[in-house]
Amino acid sequence: MNSYKEFFDAERKRVFQPDAFFTQRVMARMDTGLGESYFQTSGFWDFVPNSTRPVLALALMLILCFFAVEMYVPQLPQHGMVESFLAPEQSPAESFLYNDDAPSRQDVLKQLIAPEEQ
Amino acid sequence: MEFDRELIVRAQKGDRSAHEALVNQYSSMVFRLISRFFRSREDVEDVAQDVFLKLFARIDQVRADENFPGWLARVTINTCYDELRKTRRRKEAMETYGPEIAGEQTVAPKEPDSIGKARLALQRLDPKLRIPLLLKEVEEMSVEEIAKAMGLTQTNVKVRLFRARKKLQGMLGGVEGNSK
Repeated sequence: MNSYKEFFDAERKRVFQPDAFFTQRVMARMDTGLGESYFQTSGFWDFVPNSTRPVLALALMLILCFFAVEMYVPQLPQHGMVESFLAPEQSPAESFLYNDDAPSRQDVLKQLIAPEEQ
Repeated sequence: MEFDRELIVRAQKGDRSAHEALVNQYSSMVFRLISRFFRSREDVEDVAQDVFLKLFARIDQVRADENFPGWLARVTINTCYDELRKTRRRKEAMETYGPEIAGEQTVAPKEPDSIGKARLALQRLDPKLRIPLLLKEVEEMSVEEIAKAMGLTQTNVKVRLFRARKKLQGMLGGVEGNSK
């Protein structure tokens, strides 16, 4: 790896300097409108290297697709068909006993406790 | 490097003298960075012009509290990266479709043999490995600075540096092995 050390040392010394007319050339290129037309792209993508643009674009597209599917596909019902069919026949007390997600309303609790107290 | 925020504000308003002043002030820094990746003066100059045109096209995006030299370094490195990739693709196309042109490779004729071999090996490295390595070894930038300039995580930079060194070691071994 010694040759790399020599190489890096040599590279450190190799620096180009702009000549006296560099600024004028840049300004002239700007004046011709070449700069504006050439770089008229979206700001966000300028900071992303060309190589990573397709990957980012694909990722963004997938995220958008996911949200689109979430929005347009109807959500599955919380209860199955059997639960939906039986639900009207259940009294609040029964639903409290059989369903975990039944709300523990005060009147249902009283209804359940009442026979015990008697 | 200290920078004049007033100059940026004036450039954002479209003041031509501020544009000129920015080129005068930062062209040396931009040239120095680009010199790490390109060998001919013409290439360096072309890329430097592109960098400044990009800068003026996007000058509105520079926030007042932002570190302007760091922002410019990032634009410079990204421009070099894109240019190196384009050059590499062109070279690969030439090697595939135009062997007689690809054969005319100009590789530092005056430098010592060992440095020439190192340069050749570096030229063969993928730009995504070459750029962080040159920034670290030649520009002596820290991993954190490289990460900021390239828009990568520090871990990613460390991984790339490790891979670059390993590949170079392999290549140099191969070159020396061939020369024996």
